[in-house]
Amino acid sequence: MKSSLPSKILYSSGVIFDVARWVILIAVILALVNTFWLTLFFVDGVSMETNMHDGELALLQKNGYAGKSEPARGDIVVVQYPGDPEHRRYVKRVVGLPGEALSVSAGRVLVNNKEIDEDYLPVDVTTEPAGSWTIGPNEYFLMGDNRFASNDSRYFGSVEKRFFLGKVLAVVFPRLRSADDL
Amino acid sequence: MVETKYKKSGIFGFYRRKAIFFAIVLAAGFLGWRGLTGNLFLADRNATLTSTISQEAAILVTVDHSGQIFINGKRSGKRVSALSDYDEVRLPVVDESGQYYDRVVITLKLPAAVAYETEHELLVIHGVDNSRSYTSDGSTIVYEANGVSGYATLSIVAKLPKGYIDFPLTEKAKQVLLRIQANVWVGIAIALPLLTLIFMLLFILRQRRSGRIDLPGEEITAPPMLIPPAIVGVLMNQHVRAREVAATLVDLAVRGDIVILDRDRDFAFGKGRFDQRLLGYEKILLTKIFRESLSSDRLEIEKRINNHFYSKKISLVSAGVYAVATRLGYFKVNPQRLFAQYRLIGILAFLVGAGGFALSLLYMAQPPYIIFFWAGMMISALVVAFSASSIPIRTPLGRETMSNWLAFKRYLSSAEPIPYSENLPRIFEKYLPYAIVMDCEAAWARRFIEHNFTLPGWFLTDKSGLGLDDFCLSLFPIISYVSRSLVALREPGFE
Repeated sequence: MKSSLPSKILYSSGVIFDVARWVILIAVILALVNTFWLTLFFVDGVSMETNMHDGELALLQKNGYAGKSEPARGDIVVVQYPGDPEHRRYVKRVVGLPGEALSVSAGRVLVNNKEIDEDYLPVDVTTEPAGSWTIGPNEYFLMGDNRFASNDSRYFGSVEKRFFLGKVLAVVFPRLRSADDL
Repeated sequence: MVETKYKKSGIFGFYRRKAIFFAIVLAAGFLGWRGLTGNLFLADRNATLTSTISQEAAILVTVDHSGQIFINGKRSGKRVSALSDYDEVRLPVVDESGQYYDRVVITLKLPAAVAYETEHELLVIHGVDNSRSYTSDGSTIVYEANGVSGYATLSIVAKLPKGYIDFPLTEKAKQVLLRIQANVWVGIAIALPLLTLIFMLLFILRQRRSGRIDLPGEEITAPPMLIPPAIVGVLMNQHVRAREVAATLVDLAVRGDIVILDRDRDFAFGKGRFDQRLLGYEKILLTKIFRESLSSDRLEIEKRINNHFYSKKISLVSAGVYAVATRLGYFKVNPQRLFAQYRLIGILAFLVGAGGFALSLLYMAQPPYIIFFWAGMMISALVVAFSASSIPIRTPLGRETMSNWLAFKRYLSSAEPIPYSENLPRIFEKYLPYAIVMDCEAAWARRFIEHNFTLPGWFLTDKSGLGLDDFCLSLFPIISYVSRSLVALREPGFE
């Protein structure tokens, strides 16, 4: 006896529902967490040496700058590269804040003509090339900790807040370190 | 020979059903891992590649009135983004070409003469000597880069004043959706299932009020009518659960159609006398347990359960119980059919929600807050699918019959010990299936605790001196395990 079309639809959709409902619900919950709250990512490259290493697994807080919360100097952040937001994401450190005048001179970083304390850098690291930038409103100046091998705001300019994906909370693998220790 | 055959386990200890389940889990795990490894956030090197090959490149980028972007006359698949204050072209034009260029000139043609009002810049990374952008005429912006390495990426940015791009309707709708605040979407995601739940609860309450069942004042000491325990169960709960199957098995045993063998850490069912008076669903249940053989032990039953993802026979058992109860006039419509309709609506809404969720995640701009709406829709769908079976659909006859059976349940679950009579063991056995189906088998057994216990003839065991407690502790787990396992095999739409 042939089964009718409605019963076939009921059966087929029921099978999918039956088999997949928990998988779908768990996937939905994970996707919501991954999209709006926390995600893990791999560091790819050396521009954050010596604080973050190539291949390390780190934890990113997605809503780290939601609402009135603003990035602070020294925060390690993940941003979309403004030149290709869909495909490139960078992990960098916030060095300059909106409205500030930032300059690099004699290997040092100055904000509003005052040298900033970059205690996260190894002692012998200097910053090149020399230059000066005015950071626009709602923009941030980002640099990698490995100043000799980092593509950052020194080359592509300040980054608008809309390109910020979140704040790095910790490196979780292979050695757990909180962002405060980076 | 038959025994040896049935004692084989599945391939590497995995039965088909389990294998499918673990395959799905593995696939989900693999996809999750792929998603995680896709999260490569670059902390990249500042490349400075030079080459001896000298070349110049000229690229023409055109934006039409609908916001489509063309590169050298070919549709790029990208379009202008509508932001709150301006419409934006943001496009990587040269991306790791592998070729060194002395000079790259990108000419951007705008759909109107707004170049002088347009903010523009050229973003360059990975090895470019110098770059600049300038307006060449009212509708043209030129971006130039010199000493462009093969690793370089050149991206043009132009922020056009509002009102010069006439976005298509779908794009406008997308923009409206994207402009809705995140907390609005979260609110919808919470409100949608809550409203669905409230609606379903109110609907169920209204139906229950209009079809109130009179609770009996007094108990009755015998079943109000001779109907099988599974029918009583479905009349009470509108649902064929494991208890209805368990009660049917015990009823079949009491009637002499099967015997239950209790062995040390094992059990088996044996065929009793051949009885033509079996109901259709009872026959199907027996064929599921025995197939062609005269007995069926735990291994055989487990093999039959584990080898199936769904069982047509068990679905037919459920369908048979619903059909008999409906034919007896207890329900306005066949409960199975009604619940299947609700379930289908719920399933379709769930799948639409899941599809919308996945598509929004893949194709909407970050962050795609609309996914909260889809998540809310999926939860609402589950609320509909699972609450529908609580909608009361009993007829006046069904309600009256249920009231009588509730009076009998009062008798079964009374705390008073049953007074001694010669017929005591027979009474215990006879009403045990009804006690099981009405969820009061423990209370029913307690009523006999003060009397000597005679082991029923249909329960064969290798233990000696079994009391009532021991009998219950041996029988109930066997029946419960088998019935739960069988009921889990019902096809979708029969739950």
